Amino acid sequence: MHIEREQVGSDVVLKVAGRLDTPNAKPFEASLMEVVSMTDGGIVVNLAGVDYVSSSGLRALLVAGKAMRGAKRKLALSSLQPQIREVFDISGFSTLFEIN
Amino acid sequence: MATPEAGTLVSTIDVGARIDDITDATGWLGTLADEQGWPDATRFALELSLEEALTNVVSYGFAGTDRQPRIRIECWRLPEGRVAVRLIDNGVPFDPTSIAEPVVPDSIEDAKIGGHGVQLMRHFLETLDYNREGEENRLTLVAKPAG
Repeated sequence: MHIEREQVGSDVVLKVAGRLDTPNAKPFEASLMEVVSMTDGGIVVNLAGVDYVSSSGLRALLVAGKAMRGAKRKLALSSLQPQIREVFDISGFSTLFEIN
Repeated sequence: MATPEAGTLVSTIDVGARIDDITDATGWLGTLADEQGWPDATRFALELSLEEALTNVVSYGFAGTDRQPRIRIECWRLPEGRVAVRLIDNGVPFDPTSIAEPVVPDSIEDAKIGGHGVQLMRHFLETLDYNREGEENRLTLVAKPAG
């Protein structure tokens, strides 16, 4: 898994590449939560480079999403590959996050 | 229901009971997918389901016990293009098929963390079958036929 961070206006864009699986979920969650705590704007997680996600990866996004919602900040997802989108749809996560 | 015994055993692997050991299992399955020429949908369904099942086993199967973990995974080729993966472990009894579907939450505040793994397995698999034999959990995952 690889994460690139870019400031776009008031938002931080995180370009994630690789697998959001169980072994990678904790480092992914830590990276997300670091950005949540170190910035005060919105966060966009670009998943174009992610070709695999399991429930552990969903969990990491949910933890960050709850923290952002609690702080009244926006966390959006973008560029989901079709199989990744299916995982989000089945789990109901498509309705919990803004997806662009 | 398609059962492994109706097919041919293709490969087995023994894996450890740590989170990082899951990579050994999914890597083994990926190699089999390449060798056997599985369709992408079969590969994704089995890889995701094996990871979800194995995550449960290594996270909870041996917690609070002093037993030496034994985790074995088998891959079976079944008739009509089906593929089965069977996960056998000596952890505490746990039947994922008994887990209720999580309620789809209205908002992120109401969303519960966890419980989505079995939901994903049920969606992507044709069969999810559990039985307890002696001291072993046996969970069988059968992918939908190709095409």
